[in-house]
Amino acid sequence: MIAVAIIVFREVLEASLIVSIVLAASKGTRGRGRWVAGGIALGVLGACVVAGFAAEIAAAVAGMGQELFNATILFAAVGMLGWHNVWMGRHGKEMAMEATALGREVAAGTRPLYALASVVGIAVLREGSETVLFLYGLAAAGSGGAVSLVGGGTIGILGGAVVGAALYLGLLRIPSRHLFAVTSWMILLLAAGLASQGAFFLNQADVLPALGNEIWDTSWLVDDGSIVGRVLHVLIGYVARPEGIQLVFWSATIAILLALMRWLSTAPPKAVTRAAAIVVLALAGIGLARGARADFTIHPPVVEYREFEVEHNGSYTFDPNPANKHNETGTLEIGYGVLPWWGTEVEFAWSRTASNPPRRLDEINWENTIRLAEQGEYWLDPGIFTEIGKSTRVGNTHHLEVGPTLQKQWGNTVHTVNLFFKHPFGPDNSEKSVNFNYAWQSLWTWKREFQPGFEIFGDAGPVDRAPSIRDQQLRIGPVAYGKIDLAPGLGELKYGLGYLLGLTHGTEKGALKWNLEWEQVF
Amino acid sequence: MTSRIGIKALMLLASLGVVGTAWADDPQFTLVIKDHKFTPTELQIPAGAKVRLVVRNDDATPEEFESTELHREKVVPPGQQIVVIVGPLEPGTYGFFGEFHKGSAQGKLIAK
Repeated sequence: MIAVAIIVFREVLEASLIVSIVLAASKGTRGRGRWVAGGIALGVLGACVVAGFAAEIAAAVAGMGQELFNATILFAAVGMLGWHNVWMGRHGKEMAMEATALGREVAAGTRPLYALASVVGIAVLREGSETVLFLYGLAAAGSGGAVSLVGGGTIGILGGAVVGAALYLGLLRIPSRHLFAVTSWMILLLAAGLASQGAFFLNQADVLPALGNEIWDTSWLVDDGSIVGRVLHVLIGYVARPEGIQLVFWSATIAILLALMRWLSTAPPKAVTRAAAIVVLALAGIGLARGARADFTIHPPVVEYREFEVEHNGSYTFDPNPANKHNETGTLEIGYGVLPWWGTEVEFAWSRTASNPPRRLDEINWENTIRLAEQGEYWLDPGIFTEIGKSTRVGNTHHLEVGPTLQKQWGNTVHTVNLFFKHPFGPDNSEKSVNFNYAWQSLWTWKREFQPGFEIFGDAGPVDRAPSIRDQQLRIGPVAYGKIDLAPGLGELKYGLGYLLGLTHGTEKGALKWNLEWEQVF
Repeated sequence: MTSRIGIKALMLLASLGVVGTAWADDPQFTLVIKDHKFTPTELQIPAGAKVRLVVRNDDATPEEFESTELHREKVVPPGQQIVVIVGPLEPGTYGFFGEFHKGSAQGKLIAK
């Protein structure tokens, strides 16, 4: 009976936590009880149907039916949660401004409660179908008897409900004026966690690459199977051993929803549709973007204060030698100008080489740019760039990179130099030596939309035993950058494109590089 | 030594078995669930390659194949078989279990 109770409890717990977050988020809205109860009822019904058709679902889509079904409903829930938060961002203020209680209630009545109810339904369906299968299995095997089955099942369900109720009552203790902010954040994290689970299933179905099977392992601290692990899994999307792709989906969901919430809270209705189109395009872009490492990126000593950015850099090499023929590198970066002189960025870097084809997450890097003086205060604009990188692949080293970045404007031209020192470290470090790399960029600031120029990237290798220039890496080539304003309030889009020629024996013949960036000031 | 030959023979058999399916190139291995236990309990697979793991449930009750280390979880309906794609894996040992009968259904994949 205890064994039955524990398994049922674990499944019910997750659904119950989601229900309590939804109930707290919709506090004070008329009709929410009916919506949520309806969601739970449909979820239970759906769970029985899904369990009944388990064999058919498993066999569908060349045996990948379960994964695709799970991923689909998870992403549907992410969409619903996102829509709810965006809607609240737009109308929350109006609701608060309504003078009378009745007016508030009418305004609140138009809230997209169906969105929250569907999330409840999906949560109950997902966790419930496994519970139904498990209980059905016990009943079919006739093991343990009816008392154990019914008793254990009931204790499990009640236990899960009690934890959910505790969370709900806890949330209600938060003063009303803060409750909205708290539940918005909880819904944001819940959505990110569900998106990461969706990515997990798409990887299992072989649709998405894992980008690293195990970026870290904190199962010694909080195991996925433990109660705390389960609770954190729902609340913040905790996974003890995350795949790279899960981190990418988790971060991207937070970044995109946060941006949409801020950005659409004031934008006119037309902009909302346009925004939706841009998000779809951006997601498609990320999906298509292949491989990347930050190698061919210039870091200027410039901080864009209060600017939020999502950036992708990529490169693709061409070489007659099969080993370098078509290597790809790619990054996804999310950054913010925290202070007028400090900008910070988290970067996920992946690659794919001709000799080792699976595309995998190589590194997670934390980059910081510190501006040392106001632009134009001195003859040169100075800054410091630092990066700490955690390798996510066995056999690779972590690294610390630091160095000056300098910029000079002359008339219609701007020139940037990076002189960076990279110190590898970690258990797999065999180099034990500091590397020096340098980069130069000159651009003609002809038009905002089109700024052509050239770039040089060199890697001199270890400073204490630098190889001959022939074996160092050196590349030079034409580049062009530009900025395009989106509709008012929608930020701006930056692009960059270039082709670098390898000058030395140690460099590939040519590399195409590109950059796409969306920026918005908050 | 004999086990090496055994694996090669198994892989050859497995590769013959999957000809004609969508992922004919990937080596295939089979796990059988019977009496809430996995057979074999230890399965050797090649490291660094994508592998198709066929999990067949000969019991009359559903099971869920799950592995935290392999990042996989998939329901196996009674009397049915499912396919789990794993890898490419680094060499090492990866545990798996049956979520609905954790007490008995335990096993390991050994990637070499």
